Amino acid sequence: METRTEKIRETAKRLLSEGKVDLVIGYRAGTIPLRTAPYFARTVEEAENLIWNSHCRINLANFLPRRKDRVAVTAKGCDARNIVNHIIENQIRRDQVYIIGVPCEGMVELDLVLEKEGRPIQEVIESNGKLTLKGRDFSTSLDRAEVLRQNCLTCAHRNPTVYDELVVDQVAELEGVDRYVDLKELLAQSDAERYAYFQNLVKDCIRCYACRDACPLCYCHVCFVDETMPQWLGKSIDPPDVMTYHLLRAFHCTGRCTDCGACEAACPMNIKVRQFTRLLEKDVKELYGYEAGLSLEAKPPLTVYRPDDPQEFIK
Amino acid sequence: MTEEKKQSEEFEPKIVAFLCNWCSYGGADLAGVSRLQYPPNIRVIRIPCTGRMSPKFILEAFRRGADGVWVSGCHPGDCHYIAGNLYARRKFTLLNNLLHSVGLEPGRLHFSWVSSAEGEKFATVAKTVIAAVKAAGPNSRFVKLRVEVA
Amino acid sequence: MAEMILKKSDLAEFVKSLLNDYQVLAPVKEDQKVNFAPVEDGEFLLDFQNTFSSPKHLFFPQSEKMFEFSTDRADEGACILKEAGKKTPPRVVFGIRPCDAKAFQVLDKIFRNDQYSDPYWFGKREATVLIGLGCNHPCPTCFCTSVNCGPFHEEGLDVLAVDLGDGLLLKPLTEKGLKVFKQAKGLKPADDQAGEKAAVLKSEAEKAITSKVFTDQIAQRAVMELFEAAHWERVHESCLNCGTCTYVCPTCHCFDIQDEVAGAVGDRVRNWDTCMSWLFTMHGSGHNPRPGRKERVRQRFMHKFKYIPLKRDGEIGCVGCGRCINLCPVNIDVRDVVRNMNA
Repeated sequence: METRTEKIRETAKRLLSEGKVDLVIGYRAGTIPLRTAPYFARTVEEAENLIWNSHCRINLANFLPRRKDRVAVTAKGCDARNIVNHIIENQIRRDQVYIIGVPCEGMVELDLVLEKEGRPIQEVIESNGKLTLKGRDFSTSLDRAEVLRQNCLTCAHRNPTVYDELVVDQVAELEGVDRYVDLKELLAQSDAERYAYFQNLVKDCIRCYACRDACPLCYCHVCFVDETMPQWLGKSIDPPDVMTYHLLRAFHCTGRCTDCGACEAACPMNIKVRQFTRLLEKDVKELYGYEAGLSLEAKPPLTVYRPDDPQEFIK
Repeated sequence: MTEEKKQSEEFEPKIVAFLCNWCSYGGADLAGVSRLQYPPNIRVIRIPCTGRMSPKFILEAFRRGADGVWVSGCHPGDCHYIAGNLYARRKFTLLNNLLHSVGLEPGRLHFSWVSSAEGEKFATVAKTVIAAVKAAGPNSRFVKLRVEVA
Repeated sequence: MAEMILKKSDLAEFVKSLLNDYQVLAPVKEDQKVNFAPVEDGEFLLDFQNTFSSPKHLFFPQSEKMFEFSTDRADEGACILKEAGKKTPPRVVFGIRPCDAKAFQVLDKIFRNDQYSDPYWFGKREATVLIGLGCNHPCPTCFCTSVNCGPFHEEGLDVLAVDLGDGLLLKPLTEKGLKVFKQAKGLKPADDQAGEKAAVLKSEAEKAITSKVFTDQIAQRAVMELFEAAHWERVHESCLNCGTCTYVCPTCHCFDIQDEVAGAVGDRVRNWDTCMSWLFTMHGSGHNPRPGRKERVRQRFMHKFKYIPLKRDGEIGCVGCGRCINLCPVNIDVRDVVRNMNA
């Protein structure tokens, strides 16, 4: 982690001083433990604030659509795939983005740490795969591996697939991982059980739209939730409206989602919203053999068709 | 047995049918002109092409109380707009799977390819769809009746 | 009336003695989060930081039916709005933190003006007795002492409870609080020692709050000077405009009213809204006075720290609870923003 931080700062300073980019988007240390914040470095001095640690959960590709300047972005595997996605969808040009690829070994799930350590944490020190948590009258430590995010444990692309430079050597990709074990179990249940599962999943949703706003894919000028003629869903926390929101948002991410987990990281109510997008990701992979953001020439699955696309369910 | 029969006799499902203008709507028309009989449970909404279909329409139909939704269009290769139904096919596949995964009962959501010459097929599929929706019963999971808040 | 002691072993008796006349709500843990829920005995938390969401939903639910109506001409009362929503039964809420109670005071000033008093808010306020719990161990992110509040602050509470260890020292503050005292069982008169212990806990708690922000310059400066400050350009860059801060904040109070019609019947519903949304200020003409993130982010802080103090006699629109700091997905820290505003 320390090496990545050094290299990122070095690269950022170089790009800024050479005038290759107007801005470097990365992370800075959070004002409270276990957090980082997106940081926009415009000078060599500001680049000194860039860091990389186990809490870089927010997807920086989110800040790219409709930019007019030239930017460099520090991007882990999933984030880089989202940048590719943006280029494919014409939200930013390839020559505007300098991808500082950061091979990633996973980010920590904040809620897991807070679950394991319920007392208020005043300081966290990360070193050699361990997190030391300090509070009033206590100091404990956790292995990073114990508290990694779900999407990181099943990550298919830890290394950026498209990049301008990598700050460290590529890391080994995970082998023999089934990304959809839990979904397969879920899909084997009855429709009534599945209905109950998903209703329960979103019962705490407060319609804050943090998931949508943290998602790099959600960049529509007018989101469907704000459409009024017709209005597709109510604005209250009535369960049918909550479910409509999550279903339609997930559907709009079909074939584009890289499972970066920014949605779950942003959710203040700890809702596992990735369950919706993963259902669609699984189908897109199995039916159309597609994974989002792997190459600039790839065509997203809903923009193409094959004459022999599966259609057994169609009469 | 009598109770169940009474219930199914009483329940007449409301099914919203999205039919593409060029093929399926024509097929429905032909079924009518040919006086082919099928139960009167479908309410037709004509769309220019199945490529126009949006998941919003299907969800909205269920929200408003439709017990079933049926989408029908031209056969792949015969789309009036060349490839509208081919794009739609992928969307339908994914949406069909998604809705069933989150608990939509089997038998509520149907898709078909019916050409404007297939009056017979239209009536047959209509009967199948209506029977399936009837068996699924009234929509209670994806309907929004009145707002239920504090 | 004098202060009383409630031993923790008598909590169940205390709660049960109130149940005849009041619903009792207290902090319980549900799915890893602490929130207020109805209780019928002493099984609730006294050892917690603060509730996950602010308790403003007790008086201002996220979604609330205001009226109902029918548009069926055959109905006698067709097209006439009828009051909807249930009347709130008398209730006692135990364990409110002083910051949240102070927030209720701030919102009281906002939900009432010289012409109108919001019946939905005040109906619930009047039916509720608030027993606060002083914070012996404030969170690292608390800064209540900088915003006219404190860990043992009494504004907005009917009773203040201090956790002395084996018992709670209860201090009645209002008539409503006294009424509960008279009815409750399990209370014993407190001695001076208890009062002294509480005073020590209070001063230690206040010292433990190391997070400080100053708002004196903000109070003195003109609105336009604060409005046009350069730092807003940087604050908004990382903001997602997600609205999380507004929803968990105990003083945020903006709402949207919509009619939800189902056939020939409908309901007028009030929902929380957020100034972080572009739609919040969007005009029908297409003009948006707060068109970008910078304008919206600036608005939130200006509202809390300048406009509310200007309009409500110096009352600050923030109580230092720290929830926004903990939950903001991009770690925009209100303390840093206020420091920049005050610089």
